Amino acid sequence: MTIVHYLNQFFAGLGGEEAAGHEPVRLDGPQGPGRALAAAGAAPDVTIACGDDHFGEHEAEALATLLAWLEEIRPDVLICGPSFGSGRYGYACGVLAREAGRRGIPVVAAMTPDSPGVMAAEGAAFVVPTGSNVAAMRTVVPVMAGLAVRLAAGEPVGGPDEEGYLPRGLRSNAMSDRTGAVRAIDLLLAKLAGDVRTEVGPTGDRVAPAPPVADVSSVRLALVSEAGCVPQGNPDQLPTRHANVWLRYPIGGVDSLAAGTYESVHAGFDTTAGNADPNRLVPLDAARELEGREAFGSLHDAFYTTSGVDTPVATAAKFGQEIAAELLEAKVGAVVLTGT
Amino acid sequence: MSSTVADLEIATFGIDRIVEGTQTGRDATTLTVSSSQLAVGAGEPALAEATVEVVRPGEPVRISNVLDVVLPTVKADDPASTFPGILGPATDAGSGRTNRLYGVAVVNSCDWLTPGYVIPEEFPDSLVDMSGPGADRSPFGATANVVLRFEPADRAPIAEVDAAIRRETARVARELAATTLGQEPDDVARYAWPLPAASADLPAIVPILQVASEGTLVDTFFQGEAMDDLDPTVFDPRSILDGALTNGAYDWAGVRNVTAVYQDNALLRALFAGHGERLRFAGLIIALGYLDTAEEKQRSALASAQLAASLGADGVICTTFSSGNSHTDTMLSVRACEQAGIATTALVCETNGGLTDHVPEADCLVSTGNEDELVDPWTPHTVIGSESAARVGEPVPTWAYVAACVETGDAAWTAVPA
Amino acid sequence: MFITALPTIAQMVGTNRILRGVSITSPTGDPSLAAGDEHDLRVAIVERALEMLGTEVGPTTIWELT
Repeated sequence: MTIVHYLNQFFAGLGGEEAAGHEPVRLDGPQGPGRALAAAGAAPDVTIACGDDHFGEHEAEALATLLAWLEEIRPDVLICGPSFGSGRYGYACGVLAREAGRRGIPVVAAMTPDSPGVMAAEGAAFVVPTGSNVAAMRTVVPVMAGLAVRLAAGEPVGGPDEEGYLPRGLRSNAMSDRTGAVRAIDLLLAKLAGDVRTEVGPTGDRVAPAPPVADVSSVRLALVSEAGCVPQGNPDQLPTRHANVWLRYPIGGVDSLAAGTYESVHAGFDTTAGNADPNRLVPLDAARELEGREAFGSLHDAFYTTSGVDTPVATAAKFGQEIAAELLEAKVGAVVLTGT
Repeated sequence: MSSTVADLEIATFGIDRIVEGTQTGRDATTLTVSSSQLAVGAGEPALAEATVEVVRPGEPVRISNVLDVVLPTVKADDPASTFPGILGPATDAGSGRTNRLYGVAVVNSCDWLTPGYVIPEEFPDSLVDMSGPGADRSPFGATANVVLRFEPADRAPIAEVDAAIRRETARVARELAATTLGQEPDDVARYAWPLPAASADLPAIVPILQVASEGTLVDTFFQGEAMDDLDPTVFDPRSILDGALTNGAYDWAGVRNVTAVYQDNALLRALFAGHGERLRFAGLIIALGYLDTAEEKQRSALASAQLAASLGADGVICTTFSSGNSHTDTMLSVRACEQAGIATTALVCETNGGLTDHVPEADCLVSTGNEDELVDPWTPHTVIGSESAARVGEPVPTWAYVAACVETGDAAWTAVPA
Repeated sequence: MFITALPTIAQMVGTNRILRGVSITSPTGDPSLAAGDEHDLRVAIVERALEMLGTEVGPTTIWELT
């Protein structure tokens, strides 16, 4: 059986955050966690790797290269990660899984249940759920290996609970006893009689787009960010990952976020550029300039910040609601949110 | 109730055996097809070649590059008026006797890719399997198919090639049905319009049939005219059942409203059947999907809702055409109707990524299936059409099977948790 | 509205007004530009953000800077 293993720059040994822009590479045999896969009986024949930032910013090109390799190798199974809590790495694993799945290649991955990679995979991968702690590698890898070997051999795989992977959320086609037309009439008549039923509903929580700001030139605007921007020294100890708090800092009379006065503590990307000029993360200087030109009414006197690393969706939703409540109280009518 | 001249009568003639021979004709339930007599493509300069092949359910054949499917049909009293606007002048359809063969379909096929008319991204694969794991995906795996395979003449303009293909397909459909003229049908279905008054206690239901008209190869035709200028409009439903609405859109096979689903439209037939029993069929609206801007989509949705309200609708059923932003047109129509106090149901297909679009008011949906589900690989004995677009031996996504998830509700497929 | 260099993730989770940021490490800046040019770029980004805030959009809409 032929196994291909996808890793990011860090796990493939290409470097840390400074190598996050690395273009796809193809390496022989197992690399990094691939050696643990080999020990568990699922030795990768080929490792393909890509920098997390490169994948995120050049998805089409990176995918084309990676898929061309998969097309050439035609592996019996593709193993992605484990990516644990990493958003960018998880996303890359999920997208690659989805595309490999469309080409008939079975995929095994491992990440936190809230990783964007789970949604991106669209059910194509068998995703072993993990926590954020990379030390869990020792327990996760054998589960991945076991699934991978059976998928590669074309053996049947049991349900999510018994096998230890996340429900794939797939919907499969089945013949009804009635045409869709008859079902539509039946459902509509039932609805008119007060019994509302549906055969399918939305998967995610969707919010209708807010109506546009009627008069941008007079609106009160707030800056919010998940880029982890805080006063130098992080006086309130904003966590660098899975933050359980958001913070608010005054910017009344502040025209720019100066290097050395503010910094980013976000653990999910290389903060060198952001620390050299924090306006690259929270565009305060540009906002002040436009405020001066009366392009909008006024800037709210505080900015809101958190580190959006490995943040559960429910937590992020809570942050959003809490911040929005304060902003509404302060008559803020529009928000520019920045993030990675 | 006795029939009047104004009623549409669809007389069906069942076929359970199809053979090739020297003379096209019908003898009881056997249809003989003569390709030499049909002379497909003769007199059409935009076509270099046309072949006729007969395939039957259960044969190891895959048809690729499928464009459209048309049911054999002929206006019994005036065959020249069959498919108005395509074969002859654009006369009104929808009344008088129409003969239809049951169990046979005309399937056309043309490879637009090899001559460079289109790119693969615009024209994904379009298949019908006569046996194997995908045979039940397309409804036309279960019909005997007279397959017309066309080759464009070198450098012929694509609009002319397409018009020629549609003309020839309609002509063959008429000639096959013409074998029934003067004969006794198995069954006659009568459609009156307007319908006799029914109890006001019964809910008034209006379908909004979504079509798309975005130009050559992505068009829908009413009496031969492209519908690109259509504002939401009330149509006589009998005209739809009688060949006035034809398909000229060839992207995304699984959700394509082929002409056959207009001719034999399950929703219209079910509404006619239910009138006076469980509902009042209050009228048919046809509206465009794939409108270009948010404003146009919103305006059209509002207009559809207002039109439905003016017909006295208590409930509306919205159908969808194809994938992508037409689903937004459907959802906006649902919202506009609900906001006008009209209860709404819509038909949409799903993807592995869930629903393409949704609004909170869309609380009552019919799923016509998951278009991303992969069907097991199959190697047919024969491929009619190009092999490179036939996915031989590869898994086939459901969207590649013609009308597999058609969102007019003509098939019985749906999706359930795996 | 949301400025991000990963607009497809934002789309996936249902964000409605999305403006593509410059890069993951510098969504509202570009270290490869001279200081004056970078500032002009940032002002243009925020202007585009304001424009998006004042525009009716459909669900999960992605805009580019130009």
